[in-house]
Amino acid sequence: MRQTAEEAVRVSVSHSVWTLVRLRWMIFLIGFRRASRVRKLVVIFIFLISLGGIGVIILISRYLLTFLKNPLLAEGVGNLDAVLNSIPNVLITGAFIGILVTSFGVLLQALYLAGDMDFLLSRPVPIRAVFITKLLQAVLPSFILICAIALPIMFGLGLAQGYSLLFYPLVLLELVVLSLAAAGFSSLLVMAVVRVIPARRVAEIIGFTGATLSFLCSQSGQLARLDNLSPGDLSQVLVIFQRFDSPLSPLYWAGLGLVGVGNGDWLNGIGLVAITVFAAGGIFGVSLVTAEKLYYSGWASMQVRVQKAKQVRREKSGISVPRIALIERLISPAAWAVTIKDWTVIRRDIRNMSQLITPLIFGIIYAVMFLRGGRQVPVGRGEAPAWFMDLMGGFVVYANIGLSLFVGWMLLGRLAGMAFSQEGKNYWLLKTSPIKPVELVTAKYLVSFLPVLALGWGFLVAIMLIQRESLGLLLYSMVVVAFSICGNAGINLAFGIAGARLDWEDPRQMQRGSMSCLGALVSMVYLVSSLILFFAAPFLAEILGLPEAFGQTIGLLVGCPFCLACAVIPLWLVRQRVEFLGEAKV
Amino acid sequence: MNSNIPLIETEQLTKSYGAKSAVEAVSFQVHSGEIFGFLGPNGAGKTTTIKMIVGLLKPTTGAARVGGYDVQAQPIQAKSITGYVPDEPNLYAKLTGRELLRFVGNLYRMDRKQVDRRSEELLRLFDLLQAADDTIDSYSHGMQQKTSLAAALMHDPKVLVLDEPTVGLDPRSSRLIKDILKQMAERGSAVFLSTHILEIAERMCDRIGIINQGRLIAVGSMDDLRRMSQGVTSLEDIFLNLTGGAEYSEIAEVLS
Repeated sequence: MRQTAEEAVRVSVSHSVWTLVRLRWMIFLIGFRRASRVRKLVVIFIFLISLGGIGVIILISRYLLTFLKNPLLAEGVGNLDAVLNSIPNVLITGAFIGILVTSFGVLLQALYLAGDMDFLLSRPVPIRAVFITKLLQAVLPSFILICAIALPIMFGLGLAQGYSLLFYPLVLLELVVLSLAAAGFSSLLVMAVVRVIPARRVAEIIGFTGATLSFLCSQSGQLARLDNLSPGDLSQVLVIFQRFDSPLSPLYWAGLGLVGVGNGDWLNGIGLVAITVFAAGGIFGVSLVTAEKLYYSGWASMQVRVQKAKQVRREKSGISVPRIALIERLISPAAWAVTIKDWTVIRRDIRNMSQLITPLIFGIIYAVMFLRGGRQVPVGRGEAPAWFMDLMGGFVVYANIGLSLFVGWMLLGRLAGMAFSQEGKNYWLLKTSPIKPVELVTAKYLVSFLPVLALGWGFLVAIMLIQRESLGLLLYSMVVVAFSICGNAGINLAFGIAGARLDWEDPRQMQRGSMSCLGALVSMVYLVSSLILFFAAPFLAEILGLPEAFGQTIGLLVGCPFCLACAVIPLWLVRQRVEFLGEAKV
Repeated sequence: MNSNIPLIETEQLTKSYGAKSAVEAVSFQVHSGEIFGFLGPNGAGKTTTIKMIVGLLKPTTGAARVGGYDVQAQPIQAKSITGYVPDEPNLYAKLTGRELLRFVGNLYRMDRKQVDRRSEELLRLFDLLQAADDTIDSYSHGMQQKTSLAAALMHDPKVLVLDEPTVGLDPRSSRLIKDILKQMAERGSAVFLSTHILEIAERMCDRIGIINQGRLIAVGSMDDLRRMSQGVTSLEDIFLNLTGGAEYSEIAEVLS
């Protein structure tokens, strides 16, 4: 019945690991069993699609890599045998680095921020078993993802090169041991970093860096001039593969070993594979042993240490709200206090910064592209009539406005769309204070409208100064941007209220998906509509040969009321929802 | 505000979720200068009742009035004289303690000088002065609880509603809170607190209400409750008698 202390000590690490891993598996199975039929079908469908995808990648890799051996191609870009032999090394290095980087964040969560650590460490479970389980749990998703990409390409290479059968299981073995080594190495990094910087702060920094870098990478392709690629450029790209071939890198030995095994060079091949397997096993073993000391002491110290307090420079005014006479006349001090509070919280939470920086990166990249094009209408194939090209040329003048509004639109999705949701579980403080719903909506409106307006205007002024546009056009553009943002903020805020979630744990769950998507869609339709209303008159004036200022004035007379209506009507429609926000479920 | 009217009054307060009633026809009054303890087993409806009193939850039927103001019909007036301390101190993690108090002061439309003076006083009182410029995410649970209480006291409320205020506090802070509550009552405020610590209720509260399965089953002073329980003297026994705790002896037998 009752387990004695001696019996508890005898429990082996492997048994504990098995128990903990089985628990995870059971949680997954129970979740799957209890899921709705549709969800089950979706999971099965995704699984089958993934399997099919792997098959397709194997086939494509095989034919593509066979194509690289084509003599005709070799005439253009040179002999690619060396490149083909570098592929295993490139993939193994990529997989190793990929797991090293991705598992850092996952391990940080699993080892230090997971809610089950109190429970696990207060049971008679060996710390090594907890560590191994966490490591496996963290590395598995990245490993599956990397295998889903790297394995089919490797198998495709094996088929294209006619490698021996032993090549295939050894590829899998190398990927497994190197993934474990990468995860072990990553865990050591996590443990070292957490000793210096609090785990939660590290998680915030990772979130910010990851989101910003991934967006930068995704958009940097826009700046590349891919339309002018020559065979020389292609061979240069392929030669980059060979730069991975560093004789001092164990990852290179692994790749070389696999190629050796594939080509039947058994002694060298198996020898190099064995060396890398043992080296990887060694790193994993060292990380396990080190973990017993570093991990437990690090985790335990985290429990007793009062988090190194982040001292905020004491400002004289603090959050006691800078007094701006004009604003005080327009809105209540309570509403203005909420606005200032929101800006402070958004600015200090680094997780928000990545969402806010994204539109800026986007804006800068597209502004560069736009300016690089010299404000010229793309000539295309030269089939358009001259009058159409002239007309479009006149229209390009207003592209600055479109661009700054588009950047603003992205920012509004975050600031206005999540203005209420970001309160989360703190909303009780506002709900129990004597602030009227209309004041709250005003405050939240200003939280999004003012910074987006400042950004839109700043962006517009910068581009127009570079382009040396006239003052009249600049003023006209500023009015259009201000009114357009005004309406857009109202629409986004209204959808934000309708889809507000205050019970989130993870900031990514802030807004209900459907409302968020609908809000983005409607505000995009609004953006296009408002631009049509603002620009239709100047456009027609140009066609009819009337003064530009006349057309612009008419555009403002039509567009501004539309924008104001879009700012007010959606908020009026959801006004009653504000009163019920935060109605806690019991 | 009329001094004769109760500062907290619930009238047939009911909250239903579908067919299930979380709170059913709860009526009581708390007067100026009174500390009212609200007891009940887990899930009895204490927090739901409190949330309806402070305006976090809309009653299905019935009404809650604070200082004579209907919480639903005149929420701004009712909330402006109420201070609320929730069971979980969810506070803006990225604000400092001082910033949070100033923010709360602004929400209650306090004068700037008053905000500065009051926030310094409360930070000193709750021993938070040293951590006042640290962000709240670096505070311990107890410090957050104290910050939450300081925020509730910023505008010197006439009505103070506290949901398990001493959970997670050290004995010194716990004593401080008890002293503050007594002082507030002496100064004419009404204090409404829910607690599981019966010793606090027994020693501090002028009157006690016991809720079970959403219904208020007993209200009165300790003497009234003793009379109702026919001679049982301790609040623990009265509580278990009223809410049904006799079966726990069987559990003890199984464990032994």
